[in-house]
Amino acid sequence: MEAMKIMLVDDEERFLSSTQKLLTKKGYEVVTASSGTEALEKIRGQNIHVVILDVKMPGMDGNATLKEIKRQFPLVEVIMLTGHATMESAIDGLKSGAMDYLMKPTDIDEIILKAEEAFGKRQGLEEKIRVARMRKLVKSPSEIIRES
Amino acid sequence: MKQNPYAGLKKVILAGMILVPLIPFILVLGIGYYYFTTSLENNTIASMRRIVQDHRQMIESFLMERKADLEFILNTNRFEDLIRPDKLQRTFENLQTESQAFVDLGIFDISGLHVAYYGPYQLSGKLYDQASWFKAVMRNGFYISNVFLGYRQVPHFVIAVAKMNQGRQWVIRATIDTHIFNDLVKKVRIGKTGEAYLLDAEGVFQTERRSGGPLMKKDPDRPRYGPVHEGIKTFIDSDAHGEPFLYATTWLKDGSWLLVVRQEKADAFKALRRASYLIVLISVIGGAIIIAVAFFLTGRIVRRMERMDQEKDQLDEQLIRAGRLAEIGEMSAGFAHEINNPLQIIKSEYALVEMILADLKERGELKQSEDLAELEDSIDQIKLQVDRCADITQAILQFGRKEEPVIKDIELRAFIPEVVGMVANKAGVHGIAIEQEISDQNSDVHGDLRHLQQVLVNLLNNAIDAVIARHGSSGGAIRIESGPAENGQVEINIRDNGSGISSENLKKVFTPFFTTKPVGKGTGLGLSVCYGIIDKMGGSMAVASQENVGTTFTIRLPSAK
Repeated sequence: MEAMKIMLVDDEERFLSSTQKLLTKKGYEVVTASSGTEALEKIRGQNIHVVILDVKMPGMDGNATLKEIKRQFPLVEVIMLTGHATMESAIDGLKSGAMDYLMKPTDIDEIILKAEEAFGKRQGLEEKIRVARMRKLVKSPSEIIRES
Repeated sequence: MKQNPYAGLKKVILAGMILVPLIPFILVLGIGYYYFTTSLENNTIASMRRIVQDHRQMIESFLMERKADLEFILNTNRFEDLIRPDKLQRTFENLQTESQAFVDLGIFDISGLHVAYYGPYQLSGKLYDQASWFKAVMRNGFYISNVFLGYRQVPHFVIAVAKMNQGRQWVIRATIDTHIFNDLVKKVRIGKTGEAYLLDAEGVFQTERRSGGPLMKKDPDRPRYGPVHEGIKTFIDSDAHGEPFLYATTWLKDGSWLLVVRQEKADAFKALRRASYLIVLISVIGGAIIIAVAFFLTGRIVRRMERMDQEKDQLDEQLIRAGRLAEIGEMSAGFAHEINNPLQIIKSEYALVEMILADLKERGELKQSEDLAELEDSIDQIKLQVDRCADITQAILQFGRKEEPVIKDIELRAFIPEVVGMVANKAGVHGIAIEQEISDQNSDVHGDLRHLQQVLVNLLNNAIDAVIARHGSSGGAIRIESGPAENGQVEINIRDNGSGISSENLKKVFTPFFTTKPVGKGTGLGLSVCYGIIDKMGGSMAVASQENVGTTFTIRLPSAK
């Protein structure tokens, strides 16, 4: 099975590097981006499955980045990382299509747990798409016959 | 310090409350008094004038009647007949039936000779041609004398009438009894001291004066009456003894007699004095009532103002506290949020260290040693302390959250038992009974269900902790009551018989980060969060406590009805 490819987006460089090391050690492929713009660029070139996205960032903030990701890459699952105890930003995120949210400071295990969950969902989705495509392919000849 | 502004205010209000009614009151009394006394005075003087007028008329008509009596005799009898003693006697007797005032009767011929006389004296035969009265009667046709002693040495006065025309000229003269005339003049009675008397032009008493003034004596007050005048004169003057009198005078008999009616001023104006006393009495009583009422009302107003000011101060304090809480909330939320980022990094670093350490051990590159154990323990502490920091920032963020409450009607009869159910287990373990008493009336409040639940659970947990601290695992009691309060509010009381809060700490219980719990056991935000929540719902929260007796938290919320 394909290994999960995670992208970490945060303006804290040290958080990115440490977490990347950790996740890599746990066997995940990790890409980092220190801004929303960078994240969007990097997703374009690679097949990212799950994005862990900080809500509060200078420049393009988490929610704006989320909307852009969902618009351009609807299949990419996003988990919001929020420093707010208020549910507002998290709820906004969920409404805009985030899969889940994590409250800072969060455990690495929790990140992995939610990421796995998101990855599972992503895989389920991809599976459904594959099946649908297959059906279309299988169905095609008969349709052709019927049409003729 | 605070007493001063109220004392000043009290003075101003008191002065206003006394002066505003007192000024019109005094004006009304003064004007009333002025008009009343003026009219009373005028009345008194007018009645005096009337009396003197009536009296003069009476005296004049008496004299005229007597004169007419004599004229009648003069005209109906002949001189020759009347000088006969028996005829004269009969005539006199007839005259006496007309008026008892006649004392005697005399007939004179033109030469002034007293031709015939009937009366108690022997006067006939005397010659009067040089007497002033005889000259006057011959000149004017009649004459009324002043009171004089004459030959008889008894005060008397005479009326003489002369027959002037047609034939023989002669004169008839009668003496008038001064006692009867005296009584006639004297008989006026006005009040206690009113009296009437006659004087001649020189001021000699023609009739007695009741208050002293014998006949024929000179009245020492004569100069006060002034010269002869027309009509009636009234004035107030003191007599020879210095006693003020109200006088009314009129001249009669062509300015030869003066009729004086007088009354002591105090007596004449007795009603006036009584009115003055009454007005003084009313002034004193009315003034006293006004002052008393002013004091009473001022006291009430000032007390009320003081109370309102106190309430305002309290409200201000509450507002300031709420404002300060909001500020602290915002600040600490920002702070907590910023702290979370480094915490996140520390946490990641910790995870990394732990993982590397595990790898190293696995690969046998680290030998088990005391130092290693200490290092691992130290690393565990980092995780522990970071988690503690995380707890604090969570609490702070909750305290400072800007979420608006969702206001709904909450039925306390259902809601409170539900909340109590949440802590019942913990209470039960420590042998604490939780009593509930929820009033049937007005048991619904306006509020946010979730927030109110958080507040009540928090307060109940605090109560349980306080009870455990004092009683251990038996003897604790918590009571939760709710019922209507004033101003359309509903009150929820949570009472415990726990350890209580010292008065020093009581002031600070709602202050953020204030806690008496040991380090690491509480953030000191619970009650300040509760306070903020209730405040946002439009309610209020208060606490009363006594050490080693118990604590009562009171929440007031707007009623749903």
